[in-house]
Amino acid sequence: MNDLYAAIVHDVKNQLAELSLQLGKRGDAQHEMSIAMNAARRLTEMLLIHKQDADLIRVNVDSVNAADFLTILVAEYQELYPGLRFEIDAARAPDFAFFDDALVRLALANALHNACRFTRTHISLSAYEQDQQLVIEIADDGEGYPEHILANSGNIPAAASGVGTGLGLYLANRIAKLHQLEGRHGHISLSNANGAVFRMFLP
Amino acid sequence: MATISTFSDKWVLVIDDMEGMRSQLRMSLSSSGFAKLHLVSNIKEAIERIAANKYDVILCDYSLGDSTDGQQFLEYLRTNDLITRNTIFVMITAEQAYEKVVVASECAPDDYLLKPFTAAQFNARLEKLLEKQAYFAPLDRATDKKNWARVVAECDLMIPSKDKYFFELHKIKGSALLRNNQPQQAVECYRAILALRPIGWAKLGLARSLAATGEHSESEKITREILAESPQFLAAYDFLAKQLERNGEKNAALDVLQKARQISPGTMSRIRETSALAVDSGQPELAESIMRQALQKHKHSPVRQANDYAVLSKALLNQGKTSEALSTVQEAQKSFQDAKSLVMLAASESVVHRAAGNSAQAEIALSKAMSGTDLGSLPAATVLAVAEACFALGKDAEATKLLQHAVQNHEDDHQISQRVHAVLVASGKDANEASAIISASQQEIILLNNNGVRKAQAGELAEAIDMLSTAADRLPNNLQITGNAALVLALDMVKNGKTADKLARCMNYRETLIKKSPNYPKIEQIDNLLKQLKS
Repeated sequence: MNDLYAAIVHDVKNQLAELSLQLGKRGDAQHEMSIAMNAARRLTEMLLIHKQDADLIRVNVDSVNAADFLTILVAEYQELYPGLRFEIDAARAPDFAFFDDALVRLALANALHNACRFTRTHISLSAYEQDQQLVIEIADDGEGYPEHILANSGNIPAAASGVGTGLGLYLANRIAKLHQLEGRHGHISLSNANGAVFRMFLP
Repeated sequence: MATISTFSDKWVLVIDDMEGMRSQLRMSLSSSGFAKLHLVSNIKEAIERIAANKYDVILCDYSLGDSTDGQQFLEYLRTNDLITRNTIFVMITAEQAYEKVVVASECAPDDYLLKPFTAAQFNARLEKLLEKQAYFAPLDRATDKKNWARVVAECDLMIPSKDKYFFELHKIKGSALLRNNQPQQAVECYRAILALRPIGWAKLGLARSLAATGEHSESEKITREILAESPQFLAAYDFLAKQLERNGEKNAALDVLQKARQISPGTMSRIRETSALAVDSGQPELAESIMRQALQKHKHSPVRQANDYAVLSKALLNQGKTSEALSTVQEAQKSFQDAKSLVMLAASESVVHRAAGNSAQAEIALSKAMSGTDLGSLPAATVLAVAEACFALGKDAEATKLLQHAVQNHEDDHQISQRVHAVLVASGKDANEASAIISASQQEIILLNNNGVRKAQAGELAEAIDMLSTAADRLPNNLQITGNAALVLALDMVKNGKTADKLARCMNYRETLIKKSPNYPKIEQIDNLLKQLKS
C-alpha cells in the first residue's frame, strides 16, 4: 500500500466513523452503527499495519493475560455478530504470556473477522502453550480455508486484487514474526478441521 | 459482560476538544451505565474538575488542539500528585498519532483506546481495568503516601500467588525498592524478572538499580543495549542523558535528549532538561529554540512554570539579546503571581538589567528577590538563581551564603552540589576553590549535627534543642538535622515532662520527615520516645 492509498483509506475510514456517529444518533440503528464503526476500525487497523510494514511500529513485549486478552477481543466481534456463539478456552494458557498486546490484537482482528464471516454457528478462541510457545487459536465451523490460501499460509502477499483474506494473513504473519526470543520467531499456521483453524505461535 | 452496577458508582471525567467526540462518549458511557460523568473540552477545565472531585476514570484524547497534548497533561497530573495512583487514565488516540503515543515513556497511561471504538469494545477494556484497579488499591494507597517500604511489603504479600499481575507487581516493587534506597534488592527484583523474560522496563529498572549501587559503566552498557533494541524507548533516553550529565558529559547527554525529541514531541520535563543542558553546554541558540517553541505551544496551559521563562531569558541573554531577555521575564511576571515564582523571575530580571548596564534597576530587582521569602521553602534552582544575581552585582558574600544554604539543605543531592559548583565557577572561582566551599558547607552542618547530638548525650538538652531546631527550621530538607531536632525534643519531654509547645514542635518535625521520607529510620526512634510519654 503506498501513501496515496493510505490517504484514501484514511479518508474513507473517517467517513465511515462519521456515518456510524449519524446512525448512533437514531435510536433504531444500533446494529448498523456497530457495522459502520467496525468497518472504520478495520481500516484503522490496516493503516497501522501499513505503518508496521514501513517499519514505523515496533514490538513492545510485556506480560499479558491471555484470557483477558481474548475476552476483550471477543467483546468487539460479539457486538458485530450478535447471532454467533463465541467460546473462549484459556484454561491451558499461562497466567502471564508475553507479546505486544496492541499489535497482536491488530493481527488477530483479520483472522477473527474472516471466521465470523465464514462460520455457521460458533467460533472458538483458545490460548495454550505448546513447545515453549504461546499458541492463540481461532477455529470456526465453516467450509474451511480454500486450497490456495492453505498453500500460501500467509507467507506470500496475496495478489494485488486481494484486500481480503490473503493480505490480512500476510500481515498477521509479519506481526507474529516480529515477536522473537533467543533467535526464535513467531509465525502463523492455517489448517482445516471442522472448519478453518488459524493459529498464531508466539515465542 | 458489563454489569450496570459496576459502572454506575464510578466517577468519570472525559477530556476531548471535539464536540462530536464528547457527545459520542457521553452517549456510549451513559448507555453502559455510567451515571457520574463530567465532560470538558480543555485542560484548564479538567484541572478545576480534578481539584474538586475524585475521579475513578479519566478518558483523555491525546490531541487536544494545538496546545498541551494528553501525554503532557498526564505527566503534569502525575508529577504534581494531582490524581491518585489508583485513578485509571485512558488515552484515546487516532491512528495518525498512534506511534507518538505508544512509546515507552516514564509516565504511561493505564491503557490506550484507538479511535473509533464502540461501547462494547470500551466496556470490555474498562471492566478489566476496574478489576485491576480494585486489585492494586492497597498498593496504590501506599504509593500515594510515598510509603515505599509499605509498597514493598504489600508486593511481597501478593507476589507468591503468581497470578496474572506477577510481572506488574515486580515492576512496582522494583521501583519502590529504588525509592526506598534499597538498590541491591532492586537489582535482585529486576534480575528475577529478566531470568523469565527479557522485558524492556525490567532492563531499564536493572540499569537504574545498578547505577544506584555505583556500577555506572554496567548500567550505561545495559541502557545502550535497550536503545539499540528498542529505539522508541523514551524512558531509556531520559535515563541515559541523566547518567551522562552526571559524568559531566553534557554534550553527549544533550545529543541523547535530542534523539528522544525526534521520536516524540516530548513532555515538559524533557524539554526542561534539554534546554537547561543546552544553556550549560554553551548552545543558547538551541535552548532558545526548544523553549520558545514549547512555551508557544503551551501558551495558556498550566504545564508552564516560571522557571521555563527564566531559562529562556538566560538563553537569550547568553546570545546578547538583552531586550528580548527582559521582555521574556516581564511577560512571565504577568502570568506567575505566586511568591516563589516571583523570586525566581526577580532574580532573572536583576541579571538581565545588570547585563544591560542598568545597575540601579538590577539592585531593585535583586532586593525584591531577597525580601521576605523563607529560603528553606524555595526550590534549589531558585536559590541558585538568586545567588547568580548576587554574583552579577558583586555581592559575593551573600551569594556564597545562599549557595551554602542550598548545599546544606540538600545534603545528599549530588546533582545540586554539581550545580552549585557550576555557579561558583561561572562567577570566577576556580574549580578547587568551588569544591572547597562546597565541602566546607557540608562539614559545617555535620559538625553542627554532631555537636547537638553530643550535647544531648551529655544531658545538656536545652542547648541541644536550641542548636538543632534552629538548624532544622533553616534547613527543612535536611532529614538528618530535622530528625535529630525531633529526637532531642522527645528525649527532653521524656526526662523533663511534656509541654504543649515542645510537643507541637516535635510533631511538626516528625511530619516533615514523614512527608519527605515515610520510612526514615529516625521516625521509629521518635515514636518510641513519644510512646513513653503517654504511659
